[in-house]
Amino acid sequence: MNLFLKRSMMAAALICAIWTPPNASAQPSWLQAEAIQAVLQGAAPIQPGVRLDIPAVTQDGSSVQVSIDVDSPMTPDDFIDRIHLFALDNPSPELIELSLTPLAGKASFTTRIRLDQSQTVVALARRSSGEWLAAARDVRVTVSGCLSREGTYRSEQLMQARVRVPGQGRQGAPMEVRTLIQHPMETGLREGPDGAIVPERIIERFEAAIDGEKVLTAHLHRAMAANPYLLFMIAPERSGELAMTWTEDTGVAATERASFEILR
Amino acid sequence: MTMNRNLTRRESLKWMGLAGLGAMTGFPSLSLGGDAPSGHIVVVGGGFGGATAAKYLKRLAPSLDVTLIEPERRYITCPFTNLYLGGVRSFESLWHTFDELRDELGVTVIHDWAKDVDVEGRRIQLSGGESLSWDRLILSPGIDIRWGDLEGYDEAAAELAPHAWKPGAQSRLLRRQLEEMEDGGTFVLVAPDNPFRCPPGPYERVSMVANYLKNHKPKSKILLLDAKDGFSKQGLFMQGWERHYGDMIEWVSRSNDGLVMRVDADHLEVETEFGTIHKADVLNVVPPQKAGFIADRASVTDASGWVPVKPRTFESQLVAGVYVIGDATQAAPMPKSGFVANTQAKVTASAIIADLRGLPPVDPSWANTCYSLITPDWAISIAGVYEVYDELIREVPGSGGISPMDVGSVFRKQEAENARAWYAGIAHDVWGTRSLS
Ligand SMILES: Cc1cc2nc3c(=O)[nH]c(=O)nc-3n(C[C@H](O)[C@H](O)[C@H](O)COP(=O)(O)OP(=O)(O)OC[C@H]3O[C@@H](n4cnc5c(N)ncnc54)[C@H](O)[C@@H]3O)c2cc1C
Repeated sequence: MNLFLKRSMMAAALICAIWTPPNASAQPSWLQAEAIQAVLQGAAPIQPGVRLDIPAVTQDGSSVQVSIDVDSPMTPDDFIDRIHLFALDNPSPELIELSLTPLAGKASFTTRIRLDQSQTVVALARRSSGEWLAAARDVRVTVSGCLSREGTYRSEQLMQARVRVPGQGRQGAPMEVRTLIQHPMETGLREGPDGAIVPERIIERFEAAIDGEKVLTAHLHRAMAANPYLLFMIAPERSGELAMTWTEDTGVAATERASFEILR
Repeated sequence: MTMNRNLTRRESLKWMGLAGLGAMTGFPSLSLGGDAPSGHIVVVGGGFGGATAAKYLKRLAPSLDVTLIEPERRYITCPFTNLYLGGVRSFESLWHTFDELRDELGVTVIHDWAKDVDVEGRRIQLSGGESLSWDRLILSPGIDIRWGDLEGYDEAAAELAPHAWKPGAQSRLLRRQLEEMEDGGTFVLVAPDNPFRCPPGPYERVSMVANYLKNHKPKSKILLLDAKDGFSKQGLFMQGWERHYGDMIEWVSRSNDGLVMRVDADHLEVETEFGTIHKADVLNVVPPQKAGFIADRASVTDASGWVPVKPRTFESQLVAGVYVIGDATQAAPMPKSGFVANTQAKVTASAIIADLRGLPPVDPSWANTCYSLITPDWAISIAGVYEVYDELIREVPGSGGISPMDVGSVFRKQEAENARAWYAGIAHDVWGTRSLS
């Protein structure tokens, strides 16, 4: 490209920047969503900074797997301290907020969410320096002609948790932790068989700590899929015990513990 | 002259079946156009999609040159493979041939693999060394297995723990293993996450295996480990299982640790997400899938491994002049079924003919019915009709239906009869053969 062309393009870009009214700018429309602005408070996030992995087409909106992965050294000076996830056209857009410490070793997690309809899913991540990163994906939700969904929840299993923590790891190599708790995550929007609204009842908090030191805390909202699932990372320096606690909105809690050995 | 040709064309509309309903409204406008279309259409795959496409291209426009490429001389259907496994149908009854296409419709049938596609030069290379040029290309290659996606499950593992999700030697192997299993053994089926070929297929399979075990090895158990928390016609299946097989079948949902992460085919063991090891006597793994490899060679797949298509015509979104139908496509909410592949083929055949004549495609409409047999005399079904709305495919509101819960054996038996009639009817529509036995 010759210099002249380049200059005139720059000039054109400049004019655009001057003439575009602030609200109709090149910014993606999801950035203007109320739920997003409530978190960003006017800050302009960097894109792309977050890998947001979610199927473009999903046949079952009641449980859609989503993975978030942010590049970060996760050292005490430079780590990701918060991650938020939204489904903008759900009855309530907030899905989950995670607060992380460097003990996680990697700013990465996988969970399952509900999508009421085809829409945009947005992830925001904050660096410990205060800077925001963001990613968005459009997801189409269909219900396949050969798929019809029925409840799979049994009350006697309520609050039963499953965890998988590697028994052994190496110093400096993050390990994967998988967790799931049996819970219907009643949205408070559904009618029961008697026609009355089934009241909201959800797991609202998940905490993971190694020997009393926090790895992550998650706030869950009602659009998280039933049987909340969370896969996350830990990078402990030495052998110890990971404690995981789920708390229901009734105050009832369940705890699981697993010890691991760290080889040097 | 022209009148005559138009008459033939109208006649042929009779054969378009359900999908033709939508096409019919727009089709008469075709007859206003000029001459009979000419050109060479190459169709890859002689299954539900490909064989139907070849047939209806010739029926609607006998002036076209149509070549079908299919390695097998005998096509074996997946539909009713489960009945073969259940001991209620012979293997030979699933075979079909290409005689009608070749001898009666004048399709050139080449028994070879399509190896590579040159989309710019509009040529296709066959394994035997031949190369053909096309004016329009239709791919209906079905599925390929994503080998290695599920740890430990590769082609060698499938010789010990068959998938039997592409018919042929794999189905025979699984049948032999069932025959050799001791009474009191455990049959384990690993079911994949969406999307995959035939959403109710794994559940019909355990039903038919249960039918065999109940009659021959009644102390045996069936464990269904699922990567999903729900499945097609779930309530109806579970009601049928309980009624006919008591507690023989246990379904483990993903949230109950049903997701299998690793297969050890040598020991017939699988390991779940949360570390449970299940030991099988017969292990049937339905693995993750993708579009048949020729779709990759034609550059029509996206990162998902499936083919995005333009809803009205099923022309590839990525390569002009290449049409893809059947299981290889992303056509949700239409399921990956033989019934759907058959109606997609008819819509696409009419769209290609319209295009060759310089006319816009007609408004499409597709249909599906999936029957599942729980016993030879107890079947359930789900049906739907699909259309394009807002440039996306959707199920026509209120069109769908599913068998009612809690009905008695007369109703279910009638559905089983309907299933058999459906098989005979569609086989005749696609290959001109009802069943060889
Ligand atoms: C157990 C089971 C039960 C099922 N039951 C039902 C049912 O009851 N009803 C129903 O509607 N559907 C059923 N299905 C689904 C049905 O089998 C598929 O949806 C259907 O076969 C899809 O048609 P297709 O044309 O896309 O692929 P296929 O029918 O698989 O045809 C693809 C053909 O392409 C050929 N091919 C592939 N690659 C090449 C190449 N490179 N060159 C040349 N040829 C190639 C293959 O040899 C094959 O013959 C069932 C499936 C399974 C596994």
